[in-house]
Amino acid sequence: MLSRAAWSSVLRRGGLAARGTHSPGGTARGQGKMTPYTDYFAQRSYPMPEEPFCTELSAEQRALKEKEKGSWTQLSHAEKVALYRLQYHETFAEMNRRSSEWKTVVGCVFFFIGFTALLVWWQRVYVFPEKPVTLTDEWKARQLQRILDMKGNPVQGLASRWDYEKKEWRK
Amino acid sequence: MARQSYPKCAPDFHDKYGNVVLASGTTFCIAIWTYIVTQVEIEWNLSPVGRVTPKEWRGQ
Repeated sequence: MLSRAAWSSVLRRGGLAARGTHSPGGTARGQGKMTPYTDYFAQRSYPMPEEPFCTELSAEQRALKEKEKGSWTQLSHAEKVALYRLQYHETFAEMNRRSSEWKTVVGCVFFFIGFTALLVWWQRVYVFPEKPVTLTDEWKARQLQRILDMKGNPVQGLASRWDYEKKEWRK
Repeated sequence: MARQSYPKCAPDFHDKYGNVVLASGTTFCIAIWTYIVTQVEIEWNLSPVGRVTPKEWRGQ
């Protein structure tokens, strides 16, 4: 298994567009960026991708990058934040935020389980054969009496659950 | 560490419709399965204990 960094450079060189990777942070990508630099690769476990988030800089941004080459004490707070936003798409807090995706997933799971019930219904109507006589309520009641008369499983099973004195099920 | 407030990203599909999908999916599932289990005549062959009253079988 190639390491993540090696894999990134392979994809970049080979131009294999592995698009469609699910990005929890939305569809924002670096402008005009080729894969594989997508949100997918900015994770807690892989926080420093090779390329910056924004590569096409306006004149103002380019000036800021020049200023960055000097002493950082000269940068104002706003400029530092702007430089951060050029380099990274999201902060850790933003990239690690919770999402409501589980609701959609669980909802769809239940929906398809419900759809299965419709299949079972169709099956009952169009596939099931006639109910055998041995499964009618009448037959099962007589069968039950016969088993009780024969005292089937009298220790822990069926006959043990029947009260023969009161002629009813034990509570 | 002081938590800084930041503007929340625009709500995505899951934020907007997640609750609806979850509630409707669950309701549909429960409703349809309750109907299938009880109303459609499927023989589940449940245990007779506590449920079936035995009936005399001799002398058919």
